[in-house]
Amino acid sequence: MRRDQVTAALSPVLVNLGALLLTVAISMGVIAVSGNDPVAAMRALWDGAFGGRTQIAGTLSKMIPLMLVALGWIVAYRARRVSIGFEGQILAGGILATWVGLSFSSLPMVIHLPLAVLAGVVGGALWAGIAAVLWARRSVNEIISTLLLNLIAIQIVNWLVRGPFQESTGTFPRSGPIAPSARWPELIEHTPLSWDFPLALATVFGIWFVLKRTTFGFRLQFTGANEEAARYGGIDTRSVTVIALVVSGALAGLAGSSLLLGGESRSMSDNFSANYGFEGIVVALLARNHPIACIPAALLFALLRQGGGLMEARVGVPSSVVMITQGLVILLVAGSGFLLDQRGRVRVDAEESTPHPPTEARRATVEVG
Amino acid sequence: MAPLLQMTGITKRFPGVVACRDVSFAVEAGEIHGLLGENGAGKSTLVKILYGLVDPDEGRIEIDGREVRIRSPRHALALGVGMVHQHFMLVPTMTVAENVALGLRSDRPPLSRLRRVAAKVAELSQRYGFHIDPDQQVGELSVGLQQRVEILKLLCRGAELLVLDEPTAVLTPQEWQQLRGTMRSLADAGKAIVFISHKLDEQLSISDRCTVLRDGSVMGTVATAETDKASLARMMVGRDVVLRTERPPRAPGRPVLEVHGLHLNAAEDRCLLADISFTIAQGEIVGIAGVDGNGQRELVEVLMGIRTATTGTIRHEGETVTRLTPRRYNRIGAVIPEDRHRMAIALGLSVRENLVLKDFCRQPFSHRGITRPRVFRDFCASLLQEFDIRTPSLDVAMRQLSGGNQQKVVLAREMHRDPGLLIAAQPTRGLDVGAIEFVYRRLLEHRERGGATLLVSTELDEILSLADRIAVLVSGRFVALLENRDIDIQELGLLMGGASEMVAS
Repeated sequence: MRRDQVTAALSPVLVNLGALLLTVAISMGVIAVSGNDPVAAMRALWDGAFGGRTQIAGTLSKMIPLMLVALGWIVAYRARRVSIGFEGQILAGGILATWVGLSFSSLPMVIHLPLAVLAGVVGGALWAGIAAVLWARRSVNEIISTLLLNLIAIQIVNWLVRGPFQESTGTFPRSGPIAPSARWPELIEHTPLSWDFPLALATVFGIWFVLKRTTFGFRLQFTGANEEAARYGGIDTRSVTVIALVVSGALAGLAGSSLLLGGESRSMSDNFSANYGFEGIVVALLARNHPIACIPAALLFALLRQGGGLMEARVGVPSSVVMITQGLVILLVAGSGFLLDQRGRVRVDAEESTPHPPTEARRATVEVG
Repeated sequence: MAPLLQMTGITKRFPGVVACRDVSFAVEAGEIHGLLGENGAGKSTLVKILYGLVDPDEGRIEIDGREVRIRSPRHALALGVGMVHQHFMLVPTMTVAENVALGLRSDRPPLSRLRRVAAKVAELSQRYGFHIDPDQQVGELSVGLQQRVEILKLLCRGAELLVLDEPTAVLTPQEWQQLRGTMRSLADAGKAIVFISHKLDEQLSISDRCTVLRDGSVMGTVATAETDKASLARMMVGRDVVLRTERPPRAPGRPVLEVHGLHLNAAEDRCLLADISFTIAQGEIVGIAGVDGNGQRELVEVLMGIRTATTGTIRHEGETVTRLTPRRYNRIGAVIPEDRHRMAIALGLSVRENLVLKDFCRQPFSHRGITRPRVFRDFCASLLQEFDIRTPSLDVAMRQLSGGNQQKVVLAREMHRDPGLLIAAQPTRGLDVGAIEFVYRRLLEHRERGGATLLVSTELDEILSLADRIAVLVSGRFVALLENRDIDIQELGLLMGGASEMVAS
């Protein structure tokens, strides 16, 4: 029994590790085929991500939005809602955070910064709230609504940085400088790493605790596992789901505020979300929807983001190789997840408890015809 | 002459369990052979082996005296073994002929030979008295007729041995009678049928011989003409089973639930429930009899606040509770929903999580929104003991439990704190006799303690042996509300059945 438990706990770790090694191997193969030195490329990738204080700080700071968005995905997916609106929620959060950061510059930092961060959270929550209410009241599919809300948010930002928020010279599509009192202080001096990093880490553990140990977490889990049974059991599944979507947006909004109030940024530009809203989903996928596992998963993707630049500059490997690597990680990790599921399924079959139509049905339709 | 199918010494092990242990049985052509056993006794593994879905570890399979290794369902069909699954594999928007033709190799590819298939279907339907029109859409057919289409599919593929996996689970009593006729005419035409069911009456009424499985081993094969219900039950469960219940007389207590003039209309003024009135007193079981789909589900959902009645009042212990929510209902009563997998449990969650669904937000299970896993654990452990739930641990997924144990989890969750009011909808659906006995005992104990019970069931026997009063629900109306004293089962059946024809027309 003991040994079984150890194997059960270890096997996902080992399988994921195997998938990563395979990813590295294939990526090096691709680099070799493209006519570059794979070992030098890997060195460059490593140096770019961990070669020095600045590099490490850059990598860590890139983890922040990745982790927060991944958490957002996890919370929504607990209720089995598929939100792909994190880009839009990041932008909405960023807009409100920037607005607070540009105004009220007479406030002291202890008030101004929390206010700006809170504005970001509220912005993301509101943007997700639109999709949540549409879902609850009108049964609008959240995948579609969140996707379309992304497009709206992008255009609003485009207008803002060329209109009301534009810097005073009026030449560049970006906002004026955000007041220093609304910016996160540096965690390591003269690096992009600021105090929002520990906040993001704390959020990871906070969400983990909420999901695992609170009555809300239980409601959410049961709702996602079987909505009808949850309703029969007295859980208000609709409001639980709405809350989950709103919290998920709030997390993305927090990520948006971090992108503007922390790190190296001084102002809002039109593409500040930098695809974090989608990459974060992949991080959650890699973490197999476990909050804590988001930390290493985000580290991996931050590494690729941060180190990829040097790989291109020093060895001349096109940056598309980095994207190939990202794709490989997803494919192989998803594939290995399938491997783990299969093992689980055999064990279930063995118990021969209840018919589970989906698998059986699929097999039979394929094979009986 | 060799039997049509001979399985010898079949053993299949899965990690931690032996699903089949040295199983041998034989089926002759023209025979209806029953396969009987509790959930988890090894019936489905055996059938999966026969159908090429699972490879046995040991043993041999002979068909017509030749040893075979069945590699896939397609291969099984080629060998003349066909299977009707509990869940049909039909495309509702296609016609009968099209469904039969799906996956059938045309004799002149790439042209499909739909007319030829249709003619074949018509001919087979004629020969066995199926009354099926090949050009009708499958989605328009009743469940019983869809089942015949499944059988037709197999016959068109030349199956000589038909495996029917729990075919009666989805049928009304009338449809079961018709299926019996179908099975008999197939057997008379020389087909062999393996009939899987854990219902003893069904086995006794149709099977020629019956093989009983328990814990993966064959307990014996008996000719059904030479056995009876009690001895079959004993073979299957391993001890004597008492389903005849004793209902000691009781003095009716205060009314717990009073329902008056309940109406429920669907969107287009279609009436789902009409003028439902009844009361349930302390220590009383009121049974709702009726064929499935006559408003049972709607009634339960109104009573527990999932739907709101159009008009009418519901009073609980004198207090009007017409505008309930499921949450409020769960404070005053408990419910065993009719469809376990859909409404009662989450198959993917652990036994523990399923057990605490009704309690997790109360003290001492949680405090200020924070749950206490240790309290959960102790509480669940005591429930496992009290309700005799067989599970490897509290952490295994609900999916891994047998149907009977899943139902015990529901029972434990709902009944552990003596609810004053219990709604039990089809509480024994899909359970084997051992588990049914357990449920009956629990329901009667609840009655003994003065609890009020609303028992909704399509099984007349169940209603007659448990209920104090019986209401017959037809098309959303009570056509009768009777004391359960000297009730003529024929009459009750007529009330239900005659009305079910009205529904059909």
